[in-house]
Amino acid sequence: MNSLATLGLAFSSIIERPLRSLLTSLGIIIGVAAVYAMLALGEGAKKQVEESLNSISTRSMQIWPDWNRGRSSQARRSMPFTEKDIVELRSINGVFAATGSLTGRSYTIATETNDVSGNFMGVDPDQLRSGGGEMKMGENITFADIETRNPVVVISEGIQQRLYDNQNPIGSTLKINNIAFRVKGVTTKPDSNISFGNDDLFAWAPITVARERVIGGNRFVQNHVSSIKVVGDIGASLDTIEEEINIVLRRSRDLKAGAPPDYRIFSSRGWQQQAAEQTNSLSFLLAAMGAISLLVGGVGVMNIMLVSVTERTREIGLRMALGAQKNNIMSQFLTEALLLCILSGIVGLGVGFAMSKFAMDTMDVQLVFSPTVALISFGSALFIGVVFGFLPARRAAGLNPIDALRHE
Amino acid sequence: MPGSPNNLPLISCRGLTKIYVMGQSEVRALDGIDLDIYEGEFVAIIGSSGSGKSTLMNMLGALDQPSSGSVMINGENIGKMKSKALAKFRNNTIGFIFQQFQLLPKKSARKNVELPLQYRKPKVTDSASKADHCLELVGLKDRAGHRPTELSGGQQQRVAIARALAGDPKVLLADEPTGALDSKTSEDIMALMQNLNAQGITIIVITHEAEVAAYAQRVVEFKDGRILSDKRQDAAA
Repeated sequence: MNSLATLGLAFSSIIERPLRSLLTSLGIIIGVAAVYAMLALGEGAKKQVEESLNSISTRSMQIWPDWNRGRSSQARRSMPFTEKDIVELRSINGVFAATGSLTGRSYTIATETNDVSGNFMGVDPDQLRSGGGEMKMGENITFADIETRNPVVVISEGIQQRLYDNQNPIGSTLKINNIAFRVKGVTTKPDSNISFGNDDLFAWAPITVARERVIGGNRFVQNHVSSIKVVGDIGASLDTIEEEINIVLRRSRDLKAGAPPDYRIFSSRGWQQQAAEQTNSLSFLLAAMGAISLLVGGVGVMNIMLVSVTERTREIGLRMALGAQKNNIMSQFLTEALLLCILSGIVGLGVGFAMSKFAMDTMDVQLVFSPTVALISFGSALFIGVVFGFLPARRAAGLNPIDALRHE
Repeated sequence: MPGSPNNLPLISCRGLTKIYVMGQSEVRALDGIDLDIYEGEFVAIIGSSGSGKSTLMNMLGALDQPSSGSVMINGENIGKMKSKALAKFRNNTIGFIFQQFQLLPKKSARKNVELPLQYRKPKVTDSASKADHCLELVGLKDRAGHRPTELSGGQQQRVAIARALAGDPKVLLADEPTGALDSKTSEDIMALMQNLNAQGITIIVITHEAEVAAYAQRVVEFKDGRILSDKRQDAAA
């Protein structure tokens, strides 16, 4: 008896008992679907975590002076940072960008004919890199601009759109706080994860120009900056970088050993990790559900195959009398269990795909549909078929034909 | 001429003994049987239940192996075979007919008849037409597509006979072939077997009914695991 005939035999035996086959399949179907969904979710989560770990926002640390400290009488008033701090921070190993900026309030940015309210900042060249943005046209602010107090400005796409109707603004003159600036470049919006609110209207000037001519005031004198942003290289340890930052800042701010810092470092990597852990635990839950379901399904398959062997004892005896060898009988029942699991596996994959698709459409989860995922979940069904089909098949093959023929 | 001593017998039992151990006691189901059956014979094996005739049937059908002594069928020693060889031997040499027909209820008559051919090596390519031919031999050509449940008892046994013939066996082994049939149908079935025997097929019928044994040319009577008598007779018409 060849394998094709055995397959046909197994197939007809399954469809001759449709309800039983369907009910038996159910456990496997649910199991495979759960395993599939779990793997798709797990892969998705892994990809998401990888992406977010590599994103500018996760690699970023914001450093602000601790203004609250200044309000309590027993402590010294917190100091702004200086441009010198930035230079030192930039030289730390594994730092992708370090930028100090002077953040102003909203300013009116005006051409001859038009004006708009926007966020005006004094920056250094690293501002661009640290935000993950790119120059859309023209050039970025340079260190030379800072040195020479060159009154130039880089505007956002939003400003370009509002004031210039998307025409090329390079070289034209803008007035901010009644100071004239020449437009040097246009930059894209920074990485959306770090922009807060209506952040697409902004203008950057060299930090020296901004400090001395626009924002200035009492608070920012000489070489002060209001906040620092440090971005690590992809793969660099942010913890190590943070330690280095502390060393640099404590020295520059003359903090005594053991004294609390008068600045604060904010980073989003904590909750990114938390989110990853949550997805992992959801994955684990699904995996556990899939495994249990597959196990129960497998026991169901075994049970039904044992019933089938008992029911068909006479058929087995007859087949043996007519010349079936033990391995013919063995493969007949093993094939039947396997086929049942394969068919359930296919349906389970479909259900799993639909479930995952539905989850992806309705919830904010990312799923990855890869052949590997399908193969693993399908393979588990196959594995169940072999493992749980083996015992009943062996029992069938071990029957004595004389007794089997007389079985009532 | 079948039965003549200068021909080699198709089946030859020498000192055939089968002992079943049941707890403490031993049961000698067959006790030193010497029996020769020649090609083309129609033999009835009779005896009451427990006489050993069913055990002999299992030996001749290669379903069981002797405790001692030998069974040679078609030149092969059953006692020396392993499970795989026994299965192959049954497939090639023996055609079984059972009291309860033993047809697969969900398969058509044709599929049932094809069954022994499924296990034949090398593979039989025209098993369906072979099956149809055998169904024709038993007069059921037009019922090939019917399931056993759609056939009468007599027709079911005819399908079973066709199945036994499908593998071109050396010998048909029938175990109480009319046990589940009424007397009219029994006569038809036995007439069919007689007809097949007339075409040269060796037939061994195990029965406890004298009416059935009457169709055979030779009647071997068993009692307590031994041969009580071995007579040739003019078969009933």
